[in-house]
Amino acid sequence: MRSFVPSFLQPSRLRDVGIALVQIAGLYAVTALCNAVVRWLHLPVPGSILGVALVFALLQSGIVKLRWVEQGADLLIRELLLFFIPSSVGVMAYAPLMRQDGWKVVAVVAVGTVLVMVVTGGVAEAVWRARNRTPRVEQNPSREANAS
Amino acid sequence: MMWLGLVSTLIAYAACKALYRRFHVVFLNPMITSLVALVLFLHFAHVSYATYDASARWLTSLLGPATVAFAVPLHRHFPVLKAHWPEFLVSLTFGSATGITGSVLLARLLRLNHAVVTSIAPRSVTTPIAMDISQAIGGIPTLTAVFVILTGITGVVVGPWLLRLLRLKSPVARGALFGMGSHGIGTARAFEYGAMEGTCSSLAMIVAAFITLGLAPALVSALG
Repeated sequence: MRSFVPSFLQPSRLRDVGIALVQIAGLYAVTALCNAVVRWLHLPVPGSILGVALVFALLQSGIVKLRWVEQGADLLIRELLLFFIPSSVGVMAYAPLMRQDGWKVVAVVAVGTVLVMVVTGGVAEAVWRARNRTPRVEQNPSREANAS
Repeated sequence: MMWLGLVSTLIAYAACKALYRRFHVVFLNPMITSLVALVLFLHFAHVSYATYDASARWLTSLLGPATVAFAVPLHRHFPVLKAHWPEFLVSLTFGSATGITGSVLLARLLRLNHAVVTSIAPRSVTTPIAMDISQAIGGIPTLTAVFVILTGITGVVVGPWLLRLLRLKSPVARGALFGMGSHGIGTARAFEYGAMEGTCSSLAMIVAAFITLGLAPALVSALG
């Protein structure tokens, strides 16, 4: 039964959850603030990107301590899928489009995603190999085995 | 009735997550099972999406803070990004460009209408950012959200298979593949390979959002 309760609702962790919720409220406020600033100044970036940059800068400079935000941030990231679900159910609202062009949309997304993944993974691996091609590794006959 | 969307989503998510922990099968990814369970539930209970979303949208409103939350792994793992910045920068620039051009050209090839073409272009980055890019380039943000999810789901299904096919050895390449190819949904999967893969995926996802943001408007207008 216990496993059907989301991890963040288990009683043993309620105190931590309390702290996390306060921190999430803080992150929510930062996001709202950044969205407002973006709208107000007509900046060409989304509020959430401005928020990432702002919080990152504050953390790097030490103005904001990691422990002030990390529990809330970790909880949001751990349960990230949950926040995607309502928009994904939104596919219902596009039922006519999906009935008519559904297979095309799926084909574009599927082929496109495979392309993106092959290019990204392949290029990253190639750059990684090029940067790791040191003399020591070159001399080693079992480079493939070692690299893993 | 007011709480229906929120409550049903929480229950579906918790149950589907438990199911995935129990049976580790790719098609039981909580994103897929929750979606199927909720669509079936709403269909048979005759509940409209508008009624469902009235309270479920509170969860969606947490996507913004959840994106901002990525400043924490970015800060924590900044040394990884610094050590591997050439891998990230080059692969994600190519990845973003492939995502935008690939989507637009494929969609046009299959003669999808113009609104769908522009809505599909920014689909490889995390939802709140993709929706903003979509708005900026003249797409329909809610339709983009659907494409983003579809991309994420496709990514977790094909990602593990591509990883073996391409024989990727470096955790950086494995992480970048998931983070660029299927954003947050893929990042959750990348952590199953290891902390370094997950970290690289989170980093890739954030950096990819910045790069796509810069490339999308120019590329989409260049593609006419």
